[in-house]
Amino acid sequence: MKKKIGSALVVGAGISGIRSGLDLAEQGYQVTLIDKSPNLGGVLMQLDYQFPTDHCGMCRMLPLVERDASSQFCLRKGLFHENINIMFSTELVGLEGEPGKFQVTLRQRASMVDPTRCIGCGECSRVCPVDVPDEFNAGLTNRKAIYLPIPHNIPNTYVVDTASCTLCGECEKVCPTGAIDFGKDARGRFRILVVDDELVVRDSLKEWLEDEGFRVDMAESGEEALKRVASEDYNLMLLDIKMPGMDGVEVLKRSKDIRPEMPVVMMTAYATVETAVEAMKIGALDYLMKPFDPDTLVPLIVQLYQDIERAGEHQMEVGSVILAAGFDSYDPANGKNTYGYGTLPNVVTSVEFERILSGSGLFRGKLTRPSDGKEVKKIAWFQCVGSRDQQADADFCSSACCMFAIKEALLAKEKTNGQVDTTIFYMDMRTFGKDFQRYRDRAEKDHGVRFLRNRVHSVELAGEGGELKVVYADTQGERHEDVFDLVVLAAGQRPPSTTGALADTTGIELNQWGFCQTDPFLRSRSSREGIYVSGSFSGLRDISESVIQANSASLEASRLIHSKGGGLSEESVSETTFRDVSRETPEILVAICACGEALPSAADLDLLREGIQRQGSVKSVQVIDRICTQEGWNELEQMVKEHEVNRVLIASCMPYVYGPKLKDLGQAVGLHPRLMDVVDIRTRIFPGHNGDKKEVARDMGAVIAMGLGRLRGMDPMPVPQIRVIQKALVVGGGIAGMTAALAIADHGFEVSLVEKSEHLGGNLRKLHRTIEGVSPQELLEETIARVEKHPKIQVFKKARVIHSQGRVGRFLTTIEKEDGGSEILRHGVSVLATGAREAKAQSYEYGKSEAIVTQHELEQKMADGAVDPKNLRAVAMIQCVGSREEPRNYCSRVCCATSLKNALYFKEQNPALEVYIYYRDMMTYGFLESYYTQARKAGVIFIQYDSDRKPAVAVDDGKPKISAMDPILGRELTLEADLLVLATGMEPAENNELAELFGIEINQDGFFQEAEYKWRPVDSIKEGVFLAGIAHSPRSVAESIAMGHAAAQRSLRILSSEYIAAGQIVAEVRHSICSLCEKCVSACPYGARMLDEEEGKIIVDELMCQGCGSCAAVCPNSASVLRGYRDQQVFEVIDAALEVML
Amino acid sequence: MAKTAKIEVKDQDLLGSLRGFFRSLLEKGELQAVMVPQHLPMKNTVMPTLVTDPEKINGADPLAPVFPINAAKVVSKLTRRPLGGQVAAVLRPCEIRAFIELVKLKQGSMEDVVLVGVDCYGAYSNDNYPRFVGDEGAASTIRFYQNVTSGKGTAYEDFDISPACKACEYPVPDNADLLIGLVGVETSDHLLVKANTPKGEELLGRLGLPSGQEAAERAKAIEALVAERIAYRDQMFDETSHATADIQKLTSYLANCVNCYNCRVACPVCYCKECVFVTDVFDHEPMQYLRWARRKGIIKMPTDTVFYHITRLAHMSTACIGCGQCSNACPNNIPVMEIFRTVANYTQKAFDYQAGRSVEDEPPLSVFREAEFRELTGGKD
Repeated sequence: MKKKIGSALVVGAGISGIRSGLDLAEQGYQVTLIDKSPNLGGVLMQLDYQFPTDHCGMCRMLPLVERDASSQFCLRKGLFHENINIMFSTELVGLEGEPGKFQVTLRQRASMVDPTRCIGCGECSRVCPVDVPDEFNAGLTNRKAIYLPIPHNIPNTYVVDTASCTLCGECEKVCPTGAIDFGKDARGRFRILVVDDELVVRDSLKEWLEDEGFRVDMAESGEEALKRVASEDYNLMLLDIKMPGMDGVEVLKRSKDIRPEMPVVMMTAYATVETAVEAMKIGALDYLMKPFDPDTLVPLIVQLYQDIERAGEHQMEVGSVILAAGFDSYDPANGKNTYGYGTLPNVVTSVEFERILSGSGLFRGKLTRPSDGKEVKKIAWFQCVGSRDQQADADFCSSACCMFAIKEALLAKEKTNGQVDTTIFYMDMRTFGKDFQRYRDRAEKDHGVRFLRNRVHSVELAGEGGELKVVYADTQGERHEDVFDLVVLAAGQRPPSTTGALADTTGIELNQWGFCQTDPFLRSRSSREGIYVSGSFSGLRDISESVIQANSASLEASRLIHSKGGGLSEESVSETTFRDVSRETPEILVAICACGEALPSAADLDLLREGIQRQGSVKSVQVIDRICTQEGWNELEQMVKEHEVNRVLIASCMPYVYGPKLKDLGQAVGLHPRLMDVVDIRTRIFPGHNGDKKEVARDMGAVIAMGLGRLRGMDPMPVPQIRVIQKALVVGGGIAGMTAALAIADHGFEVSLVEKSEHLGGNLRKLHRTIEGVSPQELLEETIARVEKHPKIQVFKKARVIHSQGRVGRFLTTIEKEDGGSEILRHGVSVLATGAREAKAQSYEYGKSEAIVTQHELEQKMADGAVDPKNLRAVAMIQCVGSREEPRNYCSRVCCATSLKNALYFKEQNPALEVYIYYRDMMTYGFLESYYTQARKAGVIFIQYDSDRKPAVAVDDGKPKISAMDPILGRELTLEADLLVLATGMEPAENNELAELFGIEINQDGFFQEAEYKWRPVDSIKEGVFLAGIAHSPRSVAESIAMGHAAAQRSLRILSSEYIAAGQIVAEVRHSICSLCEKCVSACPYGARMLDEEEGKIIVDELMCQGCGSCAAVCPNSASVLRGYRDQQVFEVIDAALEVML
Repeated sequence: MAKTAKIEVKDQDLLGSLRGFFRSLLEKGELQAVMVPQHLPMKNTVMPTLVTDPEKINGADPLAPVFPINAAKVVSKLTRRPLGGQVAAVLRPCEIRAFIELVKLKQGSMEDVVLVGVDCYGAYSNDNYPRFVGDEGAASTIRFYQNVTSGKGTAYEDFDISPACKACEYPVPDNADLLIGLVGVETSDHLLVKANTPKGEELLGRLGLPSGQEAAERAKAIEALVAERIAYRDQMFDETSHATADIQKLTSYLANCVNCYNCRVACPVCYCKECVFVTDVFDHEPMQYLRWARRKGIIKMPTDTVFYHITRLAHMSTACIGCGQCSNACPNNIPVMEIFRTVANYTQKAFDYQAGRSVEDEPPLSVFREAEFRELTGGKD
């Protein structure tokens, strides 16, 4: 794995944090990935299936090349990467220094459980007396104070929730590996000074705290306290605020002069709470409210002790910081209209509904009514709860909830075989993303999901079983009622609770709603250089956009680190030469971990040892106590050396965590890590799985024998590597292409930029103002200038690609140049950013009057003064012209914002001007919503229409007359306009030819097809070919730029090293027995196999091969084989599993 | 509507008329060669021959009730790579269906071959045919044919046509480019020629045969023949299912197997260059045999017999076209065809696939269907 000297910190380990972290790690940077929660994955851990596949697929974010550096199993279970240090329960509490050289301070909450010793057996949880709501099931079930944050994590380590733990110590007693430590012994060394003028307070505190093992001193006045502080070394001072003479605040100030590092906690009555809050600003750690009750106070102080004494503070230097703190869900119980949430059990949020539906949730995947456990037959979704709601201080759209609701409705349909009745109450269905509209149409037409454009008035209890009566009004104001089993509230996104603190620590600015404020065009740039924003922390986006945003943030971070020198030098990773054992007969050491007393007390070890000894190739069987400890590991290393074996099998727990350790052992003993393996025998004796000692030994023996079977036939081979041509080709010189080219070139790699026209800039040349009121022309000029001057970028204008061949790392592309000559470019990656164009208007009498124009035409006419708002009386705009219906059944995403931009500009220039916007659904997602609000306030009239009842346009004396049904008035309205603007949306340029040349796919609308919509949004199906900008799907300028960054980031992963390595486990072909039936070619899901017609051979692209084994499975005579899983090995494993050896 | 024509039969000389037709294929058909079964001069048997000289087609006999090999394998050899011209291959329905499977497995190509199919009344095993033919040569074919059309049936002395043929529900090669029809045709007068594909039509156009109609009786006759065979087949499925219902029964069903692998050599769709069972994959460590023996105290040698048959079923049953060459090749009279067809009946149904029907049908496992086997996936797609 490549390693660079640069490093970065990523705050937040949700999807975007993981993405940014992996991006940088794959490039070779050292990454520290922290999360305040005890687990990975953020909100996604609670969601089993995602739109549009209705499956998961998170694992597709894992590295495809150099994949052995990373874990290669379900990402929802966990993540390891050589270059990533993951720290949970950790927050960023300090940041100093400058971009490229930040000193950060991280604080990790005490976990009480040693993750290196915890084996996840669950004994602790069984004895814990505490029951609190389980966050994983959105509070719908209870958990213990010592618990698994995610039930399926690898490794599955228990954590203690110190806030609810009563410190009873029961778990500490039962833990079989001694992994739990509440640190009672250390408390005697923890000195507390209690300062209070009331004797009774002092005495009771002293008594309570001494009972807990602390060492307590007392002072009855401020003066006395300061004397003691000066002479003694206290670890904590509990300080009363209101005291005669010197008050607490004064004492605090002075004590800070004497001992600035000593934590001080204020004690206060209700009356002086404000003073206490003030005190925290001048350095108090916290405050406690009087009167005190020992049952609540003591755990609080113990927790403070844990935080102070046991929390680890880590300091490190990083080049850049990426903030990926995600979002919090709006709590409907806090709203003006709660819709009964919090009181009616059958009213749930969308995340809670996910848990109701989930196989790992509270009803094990059965769609069940929380009130009485009965089957759910009818569900309603209410959209925009806490979004698009100024009363809830949310003049924004949460962007993801519409698709989320449709997905949930479809999942509910699937779970019930289509039986459940589903209704979505909405204002606008915001299906603005790629393929969203068709997904919605399918939900409605094929699956019978009902969509009602109505706002719900109220929800009441309607039956004893908890049925809910929903009262709503239709668009004409008529009242309706309906009864549902379950109401799901689409709770919107809010900034995470930690945002304020994070902003204080990092000095970044927040926007008016508390999300991170970003540059209008560069959404990953915060207000502070060197600190970048990833995912939905910059506001309101779905997974796909978050992933793109995450790529963009890591690109910016990498560019900064590189510019400061951190990306340049590559540390040489010393390659160990391992002993060649290919000609030796297998001799295996089997090391069994006794795990303290656990194994000897549960299994007949003599029987086990004897049985293993009888297996072939076993040279020695050794029982070692706790291989997981350093002593155990040293003992193992000693034995490997002593017995001179050529293979090692470890039988212990949690095989997944041994990857890095085996590498170390391999280095130490000179044996290839592939000749060592770990099998899990520990789970067999988890609580509830015991049996008689012989039976346990037999089961363990079978597991070990299976491991032996595989290990015996293991044949380590050098990992295939390919040499990379460290150059890029970018096709398309619009803003996305130029952005990508610059980003790659800024890392020092050569880029060829091929543009078919005579100018760089593409569509952006036609855009003079954005809705935010900023001119993109400045950005465009600056970008073009940078591109043209960049020493690493060669621009070919009036040129086109005529041929391309090769694969990731090595492409040969021929371009035809302006002078008609051709040139062959050698490059390692390709970025396709060929743009799109405004679709032609073909309806609404377009062409019959000068007054009927498209949005682009209007932009031009306004720029050159042909249209002046001051001379206009009435303007009409029709949205979705020819789009969001077949054959162009997709939303072009920018037209609603463009119409609002123009309408607001018209109103600003001429307030008397009437503006009418005919729309189907206003797609003002995210913060664009506020412009929609502004436009309504400014008097723009919005008239909703449906695709089956479009407005009619006639031209009368050169002027357009528009007639349409007004749904609010309930009658037909006709009006005459001076100008009619048609929002025709975008259509792709000719992508077909390019797609064919590069061997990638296009979707039915002609846009480039990504490898996976959510998890690999800028990758094409062919590794090494990346997609950016509106050739992929409609998007705004800022979104296109983000995508340009993302494509560059994905490219740099490959370009950053002269060589890239495939995985250890790759497929091979035994050509002499291959019949060339090509079954394996069609079975390969990664496009890694092909028939070389000249050679008459099937060839494997080892870099693309992900070792899945599909080819080996379809090959009838094992001409296709998978390294490490040869037939003989698998036969032996099966045999061992079936054989009762003891 | 398919184009039809007729081959006139003069003087009751069925084979003579057919030979005339094959000659005309070579003379007028713009073909490089014709592949057709012929009586070999040196021995009383019939083998596929590749003929370029119209004068050397005098022994052609596609009606002889024998096919010592499934000729699909030979056509595969001819068409694996470009042949440099067109060849007509005269085949039985099961040979055509096997060839279609091989094309899908990239072991042959339709590009250079015109498939000429002949209606099939079945064939005797390689063991029995010599007894049937005696010294008569082609005359025995006419005897067979007369027995069939006169209602005497196919049985001769103590034997009959092979069980595979008795259970074959595809006696008519509907997927041939050019079909030669006998069933339900007044063969004393003429034979039916029918072009099912554009390629067949083109060839038929060049031959200048007199036009002819497909008689209404033909459909009925085919229906009756197929019904009889399906009845036999279903009973065979039943009996075989019972005989192999569990691992003990299966083991005893296959007990005579000596691991000679003749069945896989004879199988037209078993296309591997080298079967996995003869590669190093099955070169077990000598100690392994001891371990196996130790487990039960006794094992049968050679090992991997049932494993071999199950593997072949897993690999090839979806492509099995039921020609019965496996049984024909077995030196120990194991009813291999019966178990193959019985299992194929399940596996082909499971994938909604009919082996040998058309090159357009994607073979199972090469296509990904999102929604299938929901009973196995717990309802998820």
